[in-house]
Amino acid sequence: MRTAEVTKQGTNEALATAARTYLTRRRAVVVIAALGGTLACASVAALALGSESIPLKEIFAGLWAKLVGASSPLSGEQAVIIFSLRLPRIALALGVGAALAIAGAAFQALLRNPLADPYILGVSSGAALGSIIGVMLAGQVLIARPLLGFAGAAAATLLVYRLGRREDDPARLLLAGVVVTTFLSSVIVLLTAVADNVKLRNITLWLLGDLSSGSTEGLAFIGVAVAVGAGVLVLQARALNLMMIGERDAFALGVETARVRWIVFFTASLLTGAAVSGGGAIGYIGLVVPHLVRLAAGGDNRLVIPASALAGALLVLIADTTARTILAPRELPTGAITALIGAPVFVYLLVKGR
Amino acid sequence: MPSPVRPIHHRFHQAHLAFLILLCVFVACSRPQPRAVDAGRRSFTDGLGRTVAVAPDPQRIISLAPNITEALFALGLGDRVVGVTTYCDFPAEARAKEKIGDTIHPDLEHLVALKPDLVVISTASQLENLTRRLDELKIPVYVTDPRTVEGVVASIRNLGEVTGATGRAAQITTEMEQRINEVRRRAEGLPKPRVFYVLQTGPLITAGRDTFINDLINLAGGRSISAEETAAYPQFSRETAVARAPEVIIAPESHGSELVSEADLRREFATTPAVRQNRLVRINPDLVDRPGPRIVEGLEQLARALHPELTERKAIN
Repeated sequence: MRTAEVTKQGTNEALATAARTYLTRRRAVVVIAALGGTLACASVAALALGSESIPLKEIFAGLWAKLVGASSPLSGEQAVIIFSLRLPRIALALGVGAALAIAGAAFQALLRNPLADPYILGVSSGAALGSIIGVMLAGQVLIARPLLGFAGAAAATLLVYRLGRREDDPARLLLAGVVVTTFLSSVIVLLTAVADNVKLRNITLWLLGDLSSGSTEGLAFIGVAVAVGAGVLVLQARALNLMMIGERDAFALGVETARVRWIVFFTASLLTGAAVSGGGAIGYIGLVVPHLVRLAAGGDNRLVIPASALAGALLVLIADTTARTILAPRELPTGAITALIGAPVFVYLLVKGR
Repeated sequence: MPSPVRPIHHRFHQAHLAFLILLCVFVACSRPQPRAVDAGRRSFTDGLGRTVAVAPDPQRIISLAPNITEALFALGLGDRVVGVTTYCDFPAEARAKEKIGDTIHPDLEHLVALKPDLVVISTASQLENLTRRLDELKIPVYVTDPRTVEGVVASIRNLGEVTGATGRAAQITTEMEQRINEVRRRAEGLPKPRVFYVLQTGPLITAGRDTFINDLINLAGGRSISAEETAAYPQFSRETAVARAPEVIIAPESHGSELVSEADLRREFATTPAVRQNRLVRINPDLVDRPGPRIVEGLEQLARALHPELTERKAIN
């Protein structure tokens, strides 16, 4: 098996090796179809699961009635639960998961670092700080939150990149990420401590990842961000494949490395900003998902990016459905569940990378 | 594994030992023998079961919780209160008192400088460490720990004894008990409406079983839809909240910026009987969160919200 020999080598090298493995159309179709099918099944399951039980048959009948405009077999409460609570939450989970996973895949390819992830690099913290400032300055302007979230993510990305840029030392980048994360977290703590805004006092819950209180505007923003972000990054995937071998080599092969770098940075920051302002700082999705995808489907970014979007959506959907059903009617922070899955994977990659 | 670190470890242990011995000597020397003054003191058992020796009629009292401040003023001891927290805003006179800091971070130096002869703490403030420090400093600390509405009444009676305001305490607590019994009597036999108490909406937080608000809802003749939750303030499922069809929704009044917006509640819970019958009630959170004398007022407001038919009947009579 191709993946078996890949895992034996150093992870860094593995990324490059995997990128060079030939991507067949058949493999791409199989992977995307399998992930898409699983995601569709999981979405239906998530729609049927909840603290209140509504038979799947009635849910489908209700959906059908809604589509054709017939009278719904669902009661008023059931209709609210399905259409106003579960569906938007599922959509938000899918959007947040896809955005974070694509951002992670892009950061890993661009920085040629297998441990890169918006959460670990401090990009999520930047987005969280931006979102919080958005709530403080312009609580009524709903678009302020995702926009400032994006600005925060972009600023944090730049800072970490400038501090940690060193061709020969991937650990330096992570250290820069840790430093920036710690710094931004203390700024958030200080802001919430001095803020009069009552909403900010309970920001810790939101920071752990909260998909239960997303707004329609946030959902729209994240939908656009995922569509645009995935499109742009897939177009850059070929260039990213070459850049994973080395920027100098890529440049020699005709890639406009500086331009690609900026496009990818900008897009990954946009995706992180949208995800964090929509669902809080959900961790490790950007780390775990692209790795799993590479293990299963090879390292070609033309496949890794769209497949990560689907797999990320799937993982967050599973985590969020768990968070809202396992102790029902009590809910858990979604980010705690993803971190529970993600942190051990991070440790595994860290140890294996030695 | 032999390593050059070992000798350092040894030295470490020795240093530790020396330090410990010094500390013991220091503690032994600094511990004062029981003084004659203590003889005049009276001993009380506080809400945590600690024995506290307090001089009769303490004259310099520091309150480290808003509910304690309210109780002390209600007991007519306002003049003897020398320090309060920044959250102590009731009655109005309390605002003019010296501030020790907030309930979570009191300024110990400032507290000591005010030379209190009694410090009263509420367990709600979670000041175990501070209590220990004050014990070491030989400053009498009385801790109240009410868990229920009846516990609040008892804690005020006890506070009256500790401060020597027994007569006034008997008067207040009797009145509180009468008002509680009146609410209970009127709600008896009436159907219990399903009540949803919303602390905040992003994420949705409600009150669980072991909270004052749950006790108040029960006394007022209602039944909280989250009464079985063991966590005090759990994050609650929106769909369960909708499915349990609350008949009354109660949310704290906003202090300036809104924690729960009425528009949000109406939109999110549009299908519930509470919104359809326009039974969204705002309540001053200080009346239901603070285990002090005004909790009875909170109870009466809740009772009116849960059983408006009672007030109407009373008006006709």
